[in-house]
Amino acid sequence: MSTLHENNNEYAIWVTAMSQALDQGDKVAFRTALAGFDGARNSEVTTGIRKVALDLQTALDRFRVDSKLIDLAQRQVPDARHRLAHVLRLTDDAAHRTMDLVDRCCPLADHIAHEAERLAVQYEAAEPSHAMQPQLTGFLRQTATSMTAVRGNLAEVLLAQGYQDLSGQIIRGVMTLVDELETALGELVRIGGSELEAGSRSQDSRRGHGPIVPGINHGNAVGGQQDVDALLLDLGV
Amino acid sequence: MQQNLNFLVVDDFSTMRRIIKNLLNDLGYANVAEADDGNTALPMLKNGNFDFLITDWNMPGMPGLDLLKHVRAEPRLSKMPVLMLTAEAKREQIVEAAQAGVSGYVIKPFTAATLKEKIDKILAAQAAA
Repeated sequence: MSTLHENNNEYAIWVTAMSQALDQGDKVAFRTALAGFDGARNSEVTTGIRKVALDLQTALDRFRVDSKLIDLAQRQVPDARHRLAHVLRLTDDAAHRTMDLVDRCCPLADHIAHEAERLAVQYEAAEPSHAMQPQLTGFLRQTATSMTAVRGNLAEVLLAQGYQDLSGQIIRGVMTLVDELETALGELVRIGGSELEAGSRSQDSRRGHGPIVPGINHGNAVGGQQDVDALLLDLGV
Repeated sequence: MQQNLNFLVVDDFSTMRRIIKNLLNDLGYANVAEADDGNTALPMLKNGNFDFLITDWNMPGMPGLDLLKHVRAEPRLSKMPVLMLTAEAKREQIVEAAQAGVSGYVIKPFTAATLKEKIDKILAAQAAA
């Protein structure tokens, strides 16, 4: 690789030659010297470009080797998406399993509550003076009350399965992000990191934003059903 | 109260459809059909005989807001009560839904009491109109 000093010497030789040719009025010699000067300059530019290209190549090679980019793009990110899909399936299965069991328990609780109440009335009428009568009817009435409470709690258990929908929506949001990340990383690997397409698309409000996730700024969101009701009242709904 | 009303519940999560259907059954509404997004729901609404629509907002395919707009644009369906039951909680979204003609808006997570209250309110308003 030529140094600036070497180049300067080469330029000086051609400049002197041009000067002499001018003095002597030698057109041919002048043009030869001028061409020589141009050649020296071009060779310096070419050398510079070669150096930049080599540096770039080295940087890219190091980038490929050092970073986990390829592994991320080809394995870890698709893995992350599959894991999330798996969580979705697990929570969906668990929620349905819970609801299946609740569905089976509800009629049992209803039946016991109804029968206990019916038996209490019947026994009271049939054996008004039996020694066990107050205890037994008391127990039957308590059973009816307890089973009604159990039935109420089962309804709450059912409603609580709504977590699956809310967590599922959040997971789907993250999965979309992972998809975009995968595409972007694939592109990055393809072009060797020299150009990265900018900008994640802002989410379309028409499609919805999904549930509020604590710790993430959602902008202008309402605080709860009371806020919704107040807002709708203002809007005349 | 008209317990023989036909409900259509639209939500992409089968868990949530099942919960709403169960709650409606507990409230005495036995006729509940389900759809998983607006594209499935719209032909059901057009060809069916539904009295009440409960829809989520954020769904793949046609979102709930678009479904609401289609319902309001369809002469035969335009007066149908539409309750939005969604996790979407931005003020501008609620305003947008109201402008599109939503009858009620409940945000998830919700309680059985809230659902009952909103349905009763919508039905009472409809009866008075």
